[in-house]
Amino acid sequence: MTSTTAVMPETQVVRSLSTAIRQTIALARRSTLELFRQPALVVPSLIFPLFFSFLGNSTFGKTTSLPGFPQVNSYLQFQLAGTITQGVLFGSVTGAAALATDIENGFFDRLLASPTSRTSILFGRLAGSTLFGALETAIFILVLLPFGADVAAGVPGIIAMTISGALIALAVGALMASVALKTGSSEAVQGTFPLLFILLFFSSAFFPRETMSGIYRTIAGLNPISHLVEGLRALSLEGFTASATARAILVPLAIAIFALLVAQTQLRARLRAN
Amino acid sequence: MNTNSITHLNTSDMHSTTMRSAGQLIKRSLINTRRLPSAFLPTLAMPIFNMVSFSGTFFALTKLPGFPTDRSVNWFMPLGLAMGSAFSGVGLGFSLIRDLENGFYDRMRMAPTSRISLIVGPVLATWIRVTLVTLIVFGAGTLLGARPTAGVLSYLCSWIAALGISTIGAGWGLGLAYRFQDMRGAAIMQLSIFLTMFLSTAQVPLNVMTGWLHTVARINPITNIFRLSRSGWVNASDPGHMSWSNAYGGLIAIAVLSVLSLIFALRSLQKIDK
Amino acid sequence: MSNSPIIAENLVRHFGDVHAVKGINLEVKAGEVFGFLGPNGAGKSTAVRMLTTLLRPTSGTARVAGFDVVKQADQVRRSIGVALQDAAIDPLMTGAELLALQAVLYGIPASVLKKRSDELLERVGLTAAASRRVSTYSGGMRRRLDLALSLIHQPTVLFLDEPTTGLDPMSRLTLWEEVRRLNREGTTVMLTTQYLEEADQLADRIAIIDHGKIVREGKPADLKASVGAPTLIIKTNIDQTEKAKSVLSTFGDLRPGAEGALGVGLIGGAALVTEVVRKLDEAGVHVAHLEINEPSLDDVFAEATGYRLEGADNAPSAGDNGDNGDEKPKKKSRRGRK
Repeated sequence: MTSTTAVMPETQVVRSLSTAIRQTIALARRSTLELFRQPALVVPSLIFPLFFSFLGNSTFGKTTSLPGFPQVNSYLQFQLAGTITQGVLFGSVTGAAALATDIENGFFDRLLASPTSRTSILFGRLAGSTLFGALETAIFILVLLPFGADVAAGVPGIIAMTISGALIALAVGALMASVALKTGSSEAVQGTFPLLFILLFFSSAFFPRETMSGIYRTIAGLNPISHLVEGLRALSLEGFTASATARAILVPLAIAIFALLVAQTQLRARLRAN
Repeated sequence: MNTNSITHLNTSDMHSTTMRSAGQLIKRSLINTRRLPSAFLPTLAMPIFNMVSFSGTFFALTKLPGFPTDRSVNWFMPLGLAMGSAFSGVGLGFSLIRDLENGFYDRMRMAPTSRISLIVGPVLATWIRVTLVTLIVFGAGTLLGARPTAGVLSYLCSWIAALGISTIGAGWGLGLAYRFQDMRGAAIMQLSIFLTMFLSTAQVPLNVMTGWLHTVARINPITNIFRLSRSGWVNASDPGHMSWSNAYGGLIAIAVLSVLSLIFALRSLQKIDK
Repeated sequence: MSNSPIIAENLVRHFGDVHAVKGINLEVKAGEVFGFLGPNGAGKSTAVRMLTTLLRPTSGTARVAGFDVVKQADQVRRSIGVALQDAAIDPLMTGAELLALQAVLYGIPASVLKKRSDELLERVGLTAAASRRVSTYSGGMRRRLDLALSLIHQPTVLFLDEPTTGLDPMSRLTLWEEVRRLNREGTTVMLTTQYLEEADQLADRIAIIDHGKIVREGKPADLKASVGAPTLIIKTNIDQTEKAKSVLSTFGDLRPGAEGALGVGLIGGAALVTEVVRKLDEAGVHVAHLEINEPSLDDVFAEATGYRLEGADNAPSAGDNGDNGDEKPKKKSRRGRK
């Protein structure tokens, strides 16, 4: 490179911005293709949540009349939000494990050694998971709809839920990416799986908070997963209201922004360490 | 090397008995548990987590008309035990895969000891581990408010059910490990055990279930084992309460499934030679 | 019927379409050290796994210690000791615990179990390490423990599968010494190896297996004599290879050389070297390097198989230093399927 780079003319700033976008798209493409070319990783995160919602529908079908349960036409309708969250949660671990594998096998170092913008690397990596989150959400809704999982908010609701699912995937993906960047170990990322499992079971993903007792109700209330689920649930049960939409979008958005900041910090820490 | 002389063996004194060999294999299995507790802890943590989270999250189930107990811990403690013992059982398959992959098992197969001892030894070691897990889960359950409705028999029935499930899981796990000889076997073990469990009365009694699950759970023999396991924890007025007619179905299911799964293990072991 | 401790007749093993062992015949006599040579994937391990009851033959029979390996597997197991190539030992157990386990599996009476274990540990020099976990052992220590384990039941036939692969020269010599002593005490030994030097040092007779068939068998000295002529090795420019070959072939049969080199068996003996050089010069071949080798097992191998044994060149010599005993060879396919 020549010394002219010392002063960057205005056109070059524009060019570097468009370069960053092109790089992000290229990396996003890679991470997306990588995900979809491994059906063994993708298929379980679609099948399991669907299996559990049908299992739950038969298991807890009679519970919807219990005091504290919202007005629903079936447990499946209540469960839809939980199913989406569960699927997106576990799907995002896969994406983050791929980032850790990149770090382990040196691909990440090669990216860092190239003049690719640091932010492109992070967003490119998360793009695949985010897209997959949206896709999962849409699939769950469309598969469960004919079985009684009505979405009260209608088509705009389904769109809002899909966006919400994508944001949840982005948020969880960024948090997991932080773990990957911090540890550089795909095992550590997989190791967070039981933690997610615990968080999920101590949330309102499967049963309403109102039916829980004492300490459990408190824990579920503090659990961020509950709030992610309940935003989605508001859209499917209440209809396309401003408050439902706001909860479904803003809660995951806030968590995603926070998680991206953490991930950026970890990326910078890793760059310093290199 | 040293040049000492070695005690001469009189070959007519050498008899390998199944019991002695099994005893040594129990010892090895327990030594490995003590020295590598990280492989054992999950089978302890899982039943406790399961009991704690389900009892709280699904607390409202006990308010359904016809639910066999008003204490949710009473209902979910046997489920936790069943999960823990099933995974202790298939865990045997995991460690067998390790032995097969690193070649240690060739040594076992070359020994002139009965093939039965190669299976019975590790299964008996699993019984010891499951008993330990059972005692700890009973302790934790009592702290959470589990109360027996048939005295000592309550604990006895749950313990027998746990041993039974671990034997079935062990035979199944060993057999799959012998057949696949790699981690593919492990994936099938976990998945199949998980599915069979949840397609029974694991979460709710038959009278609460609706639809297809009711049909499946009614013919699933695991349902019988759960009936046995819970017979001392449901209300004394419930038809599922401690009685011979409630116990023998479970005992028969345990006996038949154990024998079948152990034969499957033995057959698979013999198949390696071919 | 012969009462030799190892007899294989037309032993065959297929893995699906892969014919790993294509009908081998072997007879190892009582008191012999028999070397079984061959590159990875030649069928060596598969043959040994059949002889040690780990794998059933597709066809053919084998008798070990007088018993049929399929029909009397249990009696065979009682009579043989096997030290496996990758020294598969449970790393969480101590040496003494593993010996006790092995002893019970082989039915050693409780009255002599402890005594015999202690004696064997002393013999292989592991008394001090007996109560340490195997994970703390060096590669050489593992091999020695493996040997002690295989001896616990006083076998009459001992199978050693590549006993020194990956060991440092000192550990290698110690193991060789122990094998010689066991053999002096009357144990028949079948030794699998890819190191020609090891076979030359230890074996009374050897067999070379290649592509599932035995291609040479006999005493090392006889086999070497059968190759007869010394080998002249030359190196030349790649574009002159064909020209050089045609010159060399007038002096005897061409033999494979190490990579890039040409070899010829000088039928007329080493004295012809000057003649060869003159002829090459006349043909305009530039000779970059020239050496003459008396026949070795390596030549026997090359003559029999058409190539040099990989590992013949990098078999650690006394010049290697440092304990690299912990470097286990990469795990081979568990079924010897290659």
